[in-house]
Amino acid sequence: MDISTAGGLLFLLNEDLLTRIYSFLSGDSSDKKSFRATCKTFYRVDSLQRTHLRILRPEFLPQLLSKFPCLNSLDFSGCPRIDDGALAVLLRNGSVPFWATKLRRAVLSRSCGLGYYGLDILVKSCPVLEIIDVSYCCTFGDLEASAISCAANLRDLRLDKCLGVTDVGLAKIAVGCGRLEKLSLKWCLEITDIGIDLLSKKCSNLKQLDVSYLKVTNEALRSISRISKLEVLAMMRCGMVDDVGLRYLGKGCPLLQVLDISRCDKLSSTSIVSVIKGHNGLIELHASYCFFELHLTPYCLSLELKNIKTLTLDGARIAHSSFQLISTSCKFLVEIGLGKCKGVTDNGILQLVSGCINLKMLNLTCCGDITDMAITGIAESCQNLVCLKLECCNLLTEKSLYSLGSFSYLLEELDLTDCSGVTDLGLGYLSRCSKLVCLKLGLCTNISDKGISYIASCCTKTCELDLYRCSGVGDDALASLSVGCKKLKKLNLSYCNKITDRGMKFLGHIEVLSDLEIRGLLNITSEGLTAVAAGCKRLAELDIKHCENIDDSGFWALAHYSRNLRQQINLSNCAIRDVGLCMVMGNLTRLQDAKLVNLINVTVNGFELALRACCVRLKKVKLLTSLRFHLSQEIVEMLAARGCRVRWD
Amino acid sequence: MIVLNSSDGATFEVEESVAVQSQTIKHMIEDNCADTSIPLPNVNGVTLARVLEYIKKHAEAKDDEEGLKSFDAEFVKVDQASLFEIILAANYLDIKGLLDLTCQTVADQIKDLTVEEVRAIFNIMNDFTPEEEAKLRNDHAWAFE
Repeated sequence: MDISTAGGLLFLLNEDLLTRIYSFLSGDSSDKKSFRATCKTFYRVDSLQRTHLRILRPEFLPQLLSKFPCLNSLDFSGCPRIDDGALAVLLRNGSVPFWATKLRRAVLSRSCGLGYYGLDILVKSCPVLEIIDVSYCCTFGDLEASAISCAANLRDLRLDKCLGVTDVGLAKIAVGCGRLEKLSLKWCLEITDIGIDLLSKKCSNLKQLDVSYLKVTNEALRSISRISKLEVLAMMRCGMVDDVGLRYLGKGCPLLQVLDISRCDKLSSTSIVSVIKGHNGLIELHASYCFFELHLTPYCLSLELKNIKTLTLDGARIAHSSFQLISTSCKFLVEIGLGKCKGVTDNGILQLVSGCINLKMLNLTCCGDITDMAITGIAESCQNLVCLKLECCNLLTEKSLYSLGSFSYLLEELDLTDCSGVTDLGLGYLSRCSKLVCLKLGLCTNISDKGISYIASCCTKTCELDLYRCSGVGDDALASLSVGCKKLKKLNLSYCNKITDRGMKFLGHIEVLSDLEIRGLLNITSEGLTAVAAGCKRLAELDIKHCENIDDSGFWALAHYSRNLRQQINLSNCAIRDVGLCMVMGNLTRLQDAKLVNLINVTVNGFELALRACCVRLKKVKLLTSLRFHLSQEIVEMLAARGCRVRWD
Repeated sequence: MIVLNSSDGATFEVEESVAVQSQTIKHMIEDNCADTSIPLPNVNGVTLARVLEYIKKHAEAKDDEEGLKSFDAEFVKVDQASLFEIILAANYLDIKGLLDLTCQTVADQIKDLTVEEVRAIFNIMNDFTPEEEAKLRNDHAWAFE
């Protein structure tokens, strides 16, 4: 077989096999996009198999829809402003189009221009609609809810922050959508116990319910406890619920697996007992910032918590006996959150990890009393350790990193922000954890280029590195990173003042860099920015606030090279001028979010022109408040009409 | 024991209990076509040897999840030509596990690549006309993601 035939080997594979390979491509849209644009055969496979489309502009939809016969899921959240008219045009051209009859999933989050009329057309034209997401459409109310209630096949509905929905709207949905399995009412502040009661009576198939932030009382929990198939319940910050309510829950919902009661401040730790009893299927319990003190008595834990995998107890004071109990009862514990907990001592941790050897994730943020002994204990006992968060654990020294380097071969994520005991020597020991993917060393002022070079040479899988305010880090560190960490995607070098253009040029060699934060680097100029813009072709987010020595030529380079800059850019406090700003905002066609505060060298006219150039696609922009009075009414209205949110600083 | 003949005349012996991981071979045995040996004209010797390595390992270490995972990871570290040969063989012999593994490997190779990089890695010619390419670029920039 001749390998060098034009067209390549891939065409030995028939379309069935190509389709199979296509089905394994990750959900991330960029892979499928590259696949599609490669050649005609791949294009055809993609067109025939594609089920999901995220639209950027509704005008293109009709012609796109005819190309994709398998499409059943549409995401409109990226569109500038989809409104009733747009949906009407799509769906009412004579008869209902074929694709609408197959549409299963419609994502319309943040589509504030939509209303009852549009939703009604959508629901009536798409009989098999199962998933609707209208989260953050803050103006939605009962009228829109009644339109949604006509979707009889609805299984999954997200109404997060639909502030106008009241019990009336919820009742309509409960009656109309009896097959509902997942419902999110987070932030729908008008909903009360009455609505929840009707919901529990009509939607007996409900498996997942989110009532976070609602002003519901114990009565609502009494109703919820009657939903026999409920598996996941989130009730963060339900400030009016107390132990009585949780006792109701304890007696019902036999299939409960995941419970989130974080920030419900009227609960005491005995309420956990009432939920745990009789719920030995509980796998995840999130109880952050609920109680002042956690008291777990022996009898309540021995049987019930044995299946638990995730426990989040941030913010509580934990007694030593609790560590003992968790260690003896929760043998399958995989994740534990003890961030900002008081009473976390070395002894407690050692006790914990002696029993919970399957731990993969430990959050010990701000547990300032722990020392190297605890970390050594964790490293030696928990062979499967993947993620360790130790922000602000100031008593740790190189010994901890030595232990981690010696035992924790599977470690992927480590947060050492503000740990003053981290030194170059420690990083040298740590570099033996060759599977490290995410490393946070913010505010670690005792490290220098040497420490970074150890990490760079051994931890080649590093994707994310945070060196915020690591004042000892300079150009040489970037040199070693550019050679060793070829997979680096996210890098924070804010306020690392030793970095100059030389370092920036090294950064230009890291081709996959997509998220770069370099605030306050006063020693870099346009030369440096140009090098990064030209080299890092996948740059999607850039924050160069306070880089006051970059002038327009740097921004021209950015405008020219970084066409992919898609998510956001922060240019506040930079020395950019009118022309530079106009070029940046005009040429970066995929930009969605821009922070343009304190641009002292840009005139009002400059802002006008720049905003005009990009108002069509910009979704969020941050501007100085005083600018509000100087910008023309026209441009402000245009921005609003296009669905762009302006934040006035 | 079952005897398999590759397209280039090589013969391989394998236990029946192992060979039936291939649905094709399984059906041939059931239909009584496997008296002396089974001819496999679509698979060459080298590839057949590799496939047999896979099914032998998966038969003997069936319950060792970790061991199989690392075996699979090493198994697919071959050059592209061999990988595609294995895909074709797994398809012809209908061995689902091997087919999924190899196709996932190819999909992983495409991960995070740009169009030019995909073409380079798989040696694919760009057969779009300039107009078609421009339209595609437009679609991707303006119309959808």
